[in-house]
Amino acid sequence: MNSGIVPISNLQLALSVILVIAAGAISAALRLGLLKALFWGTVRTFVQLTFIGYALKYVFGINKLWLISGIVILMCFIAARASVARTPNVPKYPVGLAFWSLLASTGLVGLIVVRVIIDPEPWYTARILIPIFGMILGNSMTGIALSLDRLYGEAYSRAGEIESLLAFGATPWEAVRGCVRDSMRAGMTPTINSLMVVGLVSLPGMMTGQILGGADPHEAVRYQIVVMLMIAAAVAIGCLLLVGFSYKKLFTADWALKSEILQSRR
Amino acid sequence: MMKKLLQIDNITYSTGINGRLVRVTTALEEGGILNVRGPSGSGKTTLLRIVARLKEAGEGSVFLEGRPWTEYSPVEWRRKVHYLAQKPAIFDGPVEANLKKPFELAAVKKEMRFTPERAQELLERLLLPTDLLTQDARTLSGGEASRLCLIRSILVDPVLLLLDEPLAALDRKAADAALGLIAEWVNARAGRGVLLVSHAGGMERLPSVAVLDIGEEEGDCR
Repeated sequence: MNSGIVPISNLQLALSVILVIAAGAISAALRLGLLKALFWGTVRTFVQLTFIGYALKYVFGINKLWLISGIVILMCFIAARASVARTPNVPKYPVGLAFWSLLASTGLVGLIVVRVIIDPEPWYTARILIPIFGMILGNSMTGIALSLDRLYGEAYSRAGEIESLLAFGATPWEAVRGCVRDSMRAGMTPTINSLMVVGLVSLPGMMTGQILGGADPHEAVRYQIVVMLMIAAAVAIGCLLLVGFSYKKLFTADWALKSEILQSRR
Repeated sequence: MMKKLLQIDNITYSTGINGRLVRVTTALEEGGILNVRGPSGSGKTTLLRIVARLKEAGEGSVFLEGRPWTEYSPVEWRRKVHYLAQKPAIFDGPVEANLKKPFELAAVKKEMRFTPERAQELLERLLLPTDLLTQDARTLSGGEASRLCLIRSILVDPVLLLLDEPLAALDRKAADAALGLIAEWVNARAGRGVLLVSHAGGMERLPSVAVLDIGEEEGDCR
């Protein structure tokens, strides 16, 4: 079944620019004002991916645990920073908390995958570990951002209910339990939805990549199942950690709702 | 001589758009009702929220039964000093579930249980039909919702009730019934008290009402 990779030559790669010129022509014709962004986007795609191609080749060649760990930590940090863009409701985005939540959830799930399930030799084989951690991070980054944003959104819109529970003698946790539940659900729903439709509506990028790379579809499918399930686990753990750490930030030291949460109501 | 239930000592906060400084020193005896009055934006709601520890005061302290508020945990304090906001807080579900809501909290659960008979009695007292219990609470009118919330606050049996305009959404008859219930509640057992923000008439009919005016002028309110 292995038909091997059909390589893309430099000339063929250059030809792909035709595709983006088509997008540029549409932007120019309709005056979408996207020409500049499209140009720089194309340049950045070429530069960043070419660079990462060399970097990965180098890292795969060395294959040292300390180097791989450093890269994973850096990826977590970048993901923690990047998720801020998806949280318009959160006044002071906790990059530190997001980082630790991502590191813990990705680390736990990623290690289970590479040590117990795939188990390459050595277990920290960069060619396996880095793409696995990258896929987990890319998905849990979105998940935790969605759930954190929802937590604040719910707290704003239900400030009256939360304060009324506090007035009855609720602890902060009792007062926001309903909001936490909704925010966890918001973070996990996209992942659960993708578990439902995968293969029917979408062929995941990883699987497509393996198939294009010449792998047996059966093998690609096995990997994809592991990937889907590990993403579901990592998103759940990441959301739980971040929301669990963050809900206390809605309250003052005296267990009252912070004034900025109430202001949207008053 | 009556025992002092609440002592508000030099509580200071700013209020309104121009940040007018308000300084309040007052006291309330057991069985007493303190009617807090003042124009809109004069800081009546803020005072109640500070006393409930839902908002921080600039300075000053509050004593309940002779003990300063710092000696109580926020949960202990709010179990005794209960604030009812003007805007009714309604949760999803029927009226009965709304009345039961506080009884799901650990601090309430360990002290008391929800008794449907008492809830029905209070509904009747406030001129609400008892079949309201099964109705979706989100469909209540403003006046019904504010009476539901008053009943819920009385059910959890605090020591001090902080009521923010509980009569504002009520018609004359319902307001009279609510005021009667408040007066009866405060005297039904020793050691209770009410801070009542209200502009409704009929206060003079209540026993032992004192008035605290938070006026426009700068300075101390006593």
